[in-house]
Amino acid sequence: MQRLTSKLKGNKLAQIILLVLYVLVTSLSLYLAQASVTAFLLLLVSLLLLYYTELPDRLKWVIAGVVLVGVIPFVASTGPSYQSYMEVATVVGIYVAMALGLNIVVGLAGLLDLGFVAFFAIGAYTYGIFATAQAANFMPFGVFPLSGDSFWIFILIGCFVAALFGVLLGIPVLRVKGDYLAIVTLGFGEIIRIVFNNLDKPVNITNGAMGLASVKPPEIFGFQFVYPNQFYFIVLAILLFVILAVRRFEFSKIGRSWKAVRENEIAAQSMGIHLVRTKLLAFAIGASFSGMMGVVFAAKQTFVDPTSFTLLESITILVMVILGGMGSVPGVILGAAVITILNLQVLTEVTNYLNQLSLNGVISFPEALSPAKMQRFIFGAILIIFAIYRPQGLIPAKNPVFDEESLKEGSENHRKKQIKVESDKGFQA
Amino acid sequence: MSILTVSNIKKQFGGLVAVNSVDMTVEKGSITAVIGPNGAGKTTFFNLITGVYQPDEGNVQLGSSSLVGLKPHEISRLGIARTFQNIRLFSNITVLENVMVGLHKQLKAGIVGTLFQTKKVREEELRAQEEAYHWLEYVGLAQHLNEEAQNLSYGAQRRLEIARALASKPRLLLLDEPAAGMNPRETRELTEFIHRMRDDLNVTIVLIEHDMKLVMEISEHIIVLDHGEKIAEGKPAEIRNNVKVIEAYLGKSAVTPA
Amino acid sequence: MLADILNTLPQVLVDGLALGAIYAVIALGYTMVYGILELINFAHGEIFMTGAFIGVAMLILMTGMGWLAAMPAILALILVLVVTSILTGFMGVGIERMAYRPLRNSPKLITLISAIGVSFLLQDLVRFITEYKRGNYILTGPSMFNSQFTIKFSSVSSSFSDAFFKTSTLILIICVVVMMVALDFFVNKTKWGMAMRAVAQDRDTASLMSINVNKVISLTFFIGSALGGATGVLFAVQYGTIDPYIGFILGLKAFTAAVLGGIGNIRGAMAGGIMLGLLEMFAAANLQLLTNGVLGAEYKDVFAFAILIIVLIFKPEGLFGKAVTEKV
Repeated sequence: MQRLTSKLKGNKLAQIILLVLYVLVTSLSLYLAQASVTAFLLLLVSLLLLYYTELPDRLKWVIAGVVLVGVIPFVASTGPSYQSYMEVATVVGIYVAMALGLNIVVGLAGLLDLGFVAFFAIGAYTYGIFATAQAANFMPFGVFPLSGDSFWIFILIGCFVAALFGVLLGIPVLRVKGDYLAIVTLGFGEIIRIVFNNLDKPVNITNGAMGLASVKPPEIFGFQFVYPNQFYFIVLAILLFVILAVRRFEFSKIGRSWKAVRENEIAAQSMGIHLVRTKLLAFAIGASFSGMMGVVFAAKQTFVDPTSFTLLESITILVMVILGGMGSVPGVILGAAVITILNLQVLTEVTNYLNQLSLNGVISFPEALSPAKMQRFIFGAILIIFAIYRPQGLIPAKNPVFDEESLKEGSENHRKKQIKVESDKGFQA
Repeated sequence: MSILTVSNIKKQFGGLVAVNSVDMTVEKGSITAVIGPNGAGKTTFFNLITGVYQPDEGNVQLGSSSLVGLKPHEISRLGIARTFQNIRLFSNITVLENVMVGLHKQLKAGIVGTLFQTKKVREEELRAQEEAYHWLEYVGLAQHLNEEAQNLSYGAQRRLEIARALASKPRLLLLDEPAAGMNPRETRELTEFIHRMRDDLNVTIVLIEHDMKLVMEISEHIIVLDHGEKIAEGKPAEIRNNVKVIEAYLGKSAVTPA
Repeated sequence: MLADILNTLPQVLVDGLALGAIYAVIALGYTMVYGILELINFAHGEIFMTGAFIGVAMLILMTGMGWLAAMPAILALILVLVVTSILTGFMGVGIERMAYRPLRNSPKLITLISAIGVSFLLQDLVRFITEYKRGNYILTGPSMFNSQFTIKFSSVSSSFSDAFFKTSTLILIICVVVMMVALDFFVNKTKWGMAMRAVAQDRDTASLMSINVNKVISLTFFIGSALGGATGVLFAVQYGTIDPYIGFILGLKAFTAAVLGGIGNIRGAMAGGIMLGLLEMFAAANLQLLTNGVLGAEYKDVFAFAILIIVLIFKPEGLFGKAVTEKV
């Protein structure tokens, strides 16, 4: 095995051939054995393998695009489980975006936010209220529900409203010192849920615990998005944007100031970093990703109620970040995918299997231990185990590697410039 | 011409008066040392200048602007940079990025520019990397650029802190025990380095230091604190023979034979 | 409006005092651990919850075996309290040993995450044990100490109505007072209490003074958890029905109480707990009235969290604490 990996290392052609083979085999098995969840999961694993190949980044993106846009929707499309596969893939995409948002707050800026799902809720309600007749209760003008055409604008609106709430919550919350932040955000998350749950009076805005039903599906040029395989592409597009944005922020002045604040607040301040503004920015950008996906979620479910936004959801997203690796974009994507698939597929499948066994009298399996109910146990265990044994997560965050040679040249120029400036007017430039 | 004027500054923690009515004037381009026994209030004094603590009374003036009531990041923007007694690096990011944080306030990239990676932002980022590399060369850490800051040796970490501070182009540089934990050879190098820095960069330096050899060799002006109060001030030669200073360091018996 | 508020005030006071007593003891657990480790022990609410389940399980068991009928109820309760507090005490020590101690030199964020993990793990552990044994995770204990008392506030002034309370409320308050007095004595008057205070002040120096820091931390967890578990039993007896998720929100509120009293400050936590209990009951009874029906009693949790946030922002050292500046 070790010989094999050492042979593969450095041999790009072999890597690409193996990868293509892998995708082919898993695709074929999914195509032929339609009900096979295993084949579907193995096909998704190809993206992880792709990450570990040594191909150039650009090629990796292209291959990932081909697999996500072409292969997966196509080979899954022929069988009866098509929609359920696409549903899983869509939900994975939604959670990946949220986890990437939380990763900015927790992983990059080092702020433990335990009420993150609140921003998802805000996005969902923003669209839910206006895409149902609900808005007519308090809006003095306009005809509600708005048509499905408005969905596309609402992705942006959801993004901004969530960011705005991120800032509004952040202003008081971020004045709180370090570890208190966790508990305050937890409190805020609960407050938002309770408020949504009770905001059916005095003016009925959220319809309280009843929730908002029959939210208008997205529509473009008369074409309605109703099925998971259609939402899949919407989510994919937003996700692409989110990943791009995260990577750009991470390795920019903004990302550096987040990391500086995470590593040492006092030193960061003494280097001219505005503490509150930097943290607020992390909150706002993290929240905005959640807000966008909240809009998609509302449209996909066509139903919004407060039970989708409990503390357990916030913790689930946190588990994704911790499992994958705080601050690591590929890690968090992996973490979110693993946890979502575990939640949606593995736990229910195992439960069904066990129930089948006890139905057939093979074993007697108590209902209380059914894996589908064990989320808290599993998540709790993951948090403890990773905190103690692998705090950097499955795929640890990597620092950028700078090219010394090119910097050397640039530095040369810089020195010349500096000497010139100095002779002009001293060092105060 | 004076660059920093501290007048009648006072700071109290509960019942403890950490800094009591201290005055100080720092000449532009000079090297000034603040010395005193442990617990004399030297670091608190630095924290008052850099805005980490707010003074209870008194004024701190950089050039013509008062620093009282300003936040540390605002004071940094006015041109004061510092290092810390207990090294405060950004441990988990690379050495080069540490220095780039020092460049933070000069960079103009905003959210939109970063998101769309405009040409201006990319250029600026590249220039920042080069400039940071330049500062690493200046302190002799260039070959470590891609290492995590926490993996550097102790002496290298101290130099990295200086590089980070220099990157912010300070008018006034505060060094908090720069030679702590260094061996004689390293201290000698540091002495030369501080001199060179002042001459190359035309920066004013105030340092806290316990190594008397370094202090006497390097500084043009010395201030002695004890129990939060200024007990002496003057040229190295004057301080060396000051009775009060010897008393503060060695106790009364050193001055008046028992 | 004022007349209505005054009218219900006696009942609000009695109920608030009972709830506040519970908050106060749980707040002690938070405050002691925070004082010594600077860690928000998220699992503390779950220890309280586990205590409630152990207590109810024992009471059900004893009923089943006919013991409860055979001995005086108060004796049974004391027995249950003692056994529960020993069990939860050791549980707390075990949690510290396994989930927190390996992380003592890690960043605070990681320890907090481990604490949240323990909290969730315990919720589910209790859930499936209960569900496995009983078929349902919501548990109702045998009814005890149910006789009602009336305090005739109306005879003091006609603007008050009478307040009702059960024997269990009285027992609850007495037990809580005993626990608090005992703890206060222990911390301030004994050698081990002094060691605890020393470790809270400065762990390194304390260890130089030949104090076994690990032992002191274990002891702190034992005491905090034992008190929390015992309170769980009292809670179950007072309010009857329990589920595995009561600990989280209740713990959060108790933490609020600890912050209100100044975190690390034991007497402050007691005062903060009582204060929060009273405020919450007052809000539950009068919020609707005060806001003209805009906000109902369902906002009482929001009210508690709002207090937490306001205190943390404007007076993070608590109502009785002194401001501390971070050492640079």
